[in-house]
Amino acid sequence: MRNATLPFAFVAPALVFLAAVLGWPLLQAVWLSLQDVGVIGSQGRFVGLANYAAVLGDGRFWRALLRSLVWVAGNAAVQTLAALGAALILNQQFPGVRLARTWIILGWIVPTVVVVIIWRWLLSTSGGMINPLLVQAGVIDRPVGFFASRESAMTTLILINSWRWFPFTTLMLLAGLTRIPGELYEAARIDGAGAVKRFTRITWPLLQPTLLVLGVVGTLLSFNVFDVIWLLTAGGPAQATQTLPVLIYETAFKGYRLSEAAAVSVITSLLLMAFAVAATRAMAADEAER
Amino acid sequence: MRRSLAQNLVLALGLLVLAALVLLPFWWVASGSVKLPKEIIQRVPTMMPHSFTTQHFEKLFSSSDFPTYLVNSLLVALASTAATVALALPAAYAFFRMDFPGRAALYRAILLAYAFPGVVVLIPLYGLFSAAGLVDSRISLVIVNVAFALPFAIWMMRSFLASVPREIEEAALIDGAPVATILLRIMVPLIAPGIASVAVFAFIASWTEYLFASVLIVSDERRTIPVGFAGIIGQYQIDWGLLLAGATAATIPVVLLFALVGRWFVAGLTEGAVK
Repeated sequence: MRNATLPFAFVAPALVFLAAVLGWPLLQAVWLSLQDVGVIGSQGRFVGLANYAAVLGDGRFWRALLRSLVWVAGNAAVQTLAALGAALILNQQFPGVRLARTWIILGWIVPTVVVVIIWRWLLSTSGGMINPLLVQAGVIDRPVGFFASRESAMTTLILINSWRWFPFTTLMLLAGLTRIPGELYEAARIDGAGAVKRFTRITWPLLQPTLLVLGVVGTLLSFNVFDVIWLLTAGGPAQATQTLPVLIYETAFKGYRLSEAAAVSVITSLLLMAFAVAATRAMAADEAER
Repeated sequence: MRRSLAQNLVLALGLLVLAALVLLPFWWVASGSVKLPKEIIQRVPTMMPHSFTTQHFEKLFSSSDFPTYLVNSLLVALASTAATVALALPAAYAFFRMDFPGRAALYRAILLAYAFPGVVVLIPLYGLFSAAGLVDSRISLVIVNVAFALPFAIWMMRSFLASVPREIEEAALIDGAPVATILLRIMVPLIAPGIASVAVFAFIASWTEYLFASVLIVSDERRTIPVGFAGIIGQYQIDWGLLLAGATAATIPVVLLFALVGRWFVAGLTEGAVK
């Protein structure tokens, strides 16, 4: 006979742990954002919504938000394209396909600092491989500093982060591809549909649910990326790569304005939560339609 | 399904590009780590090393703090992995194999935890840890790593648990076996690949964590690779040989782990993704 309290006993350790380590600090972040604490550990006064007013009236917040949107959109575009190509290849049968499906993830399982060293070196002007290759191919005239200008810094960071994350996206898409029944392709082939038509009429539409899930998960994951940006550019040059997580870190631990940083992070969390709720609603509605 | 010659060529070309994209950067770094310093910064880079030296690895392991970071990273990652599995397994079993009021709402609440930027809880967590005397301890890193790995770990177990036929449990229940016994003696062996993939995920999450480790650890002898190594980048006049050797050394443990159980990890990642 199953005990009615048993399921709770099973989930309780995980739940209590998450509540203590994530839930409770989250509430504290809200409380902190209503005070005027500067340095960690110092006392503050209750100031109501003053921090929020200051943050929302500050151009730095809005510029960081805009950069975060550019960052998320850029990553989504590059990763989806690269992953779609890779997933279509890995969905074929060939000798060694299982090895390929496993090791494609290599860039994702190493510490960010390794990714940072790899690309700083490959892109450096002394000994890096990329500059000579691009010069040889005629793309550029002479070696360029990829992190030196505002536009190229953001683009380079998006490409590096996509290099790291597209294998993850690939495996998700691959899971969606393997769920498409092979008979559909057979039938289309018998009807004389070419490769392009089979992709646009079968693969693409049937991949939509997977792409939707990925859009939501990927947006949340890439929005929160901090370390690769911090270690490569620290938000520079001239704040060109300062996304919201970088702004929060900078305000709290370099500017010593903890409460203000807490206010930015509360606003950020509300934005992400609104997005997550809206997206899951849309997915539920989408599922109901099918 | 047979492919035409043209299709085979396209496939081979695509595979080649993909392999180059993923593996070539690692090859350049690994081969660079055994080149002499002057070959590393040569204007025209070499694909295959023309020189061979172990001087960068010697420096890394004898005169830098890298060995300490390596041990710390391993300790934190192993402890995080064990704790994540211990918490995720019973929770996932309850969520996906039992029925109880509030199940769906609690599950959603756990998944929501995944949506928050880590930096949001970093500030208050620092305060909590300092009140508990845990700042600058490796335990604080384990606690944080487990909290951030747990939601995804529970979600990952789903498809593995779903693949076990209900009849197996029901038969054991009729025989009067307690649920804990069923979980440990029957379910655990059946979902071993799922547990392995959760373990790999928790290990990697901890192995790569930078943000919390950079704030919660103060003294050099407790630093993990991501933070300690980032410090080496700034500390020396850019010594590429040392950095390349370090990058290579930091990659080897996860490559070994992946060679053993990578297959299941990839299965766990992709199986869960569909629903």
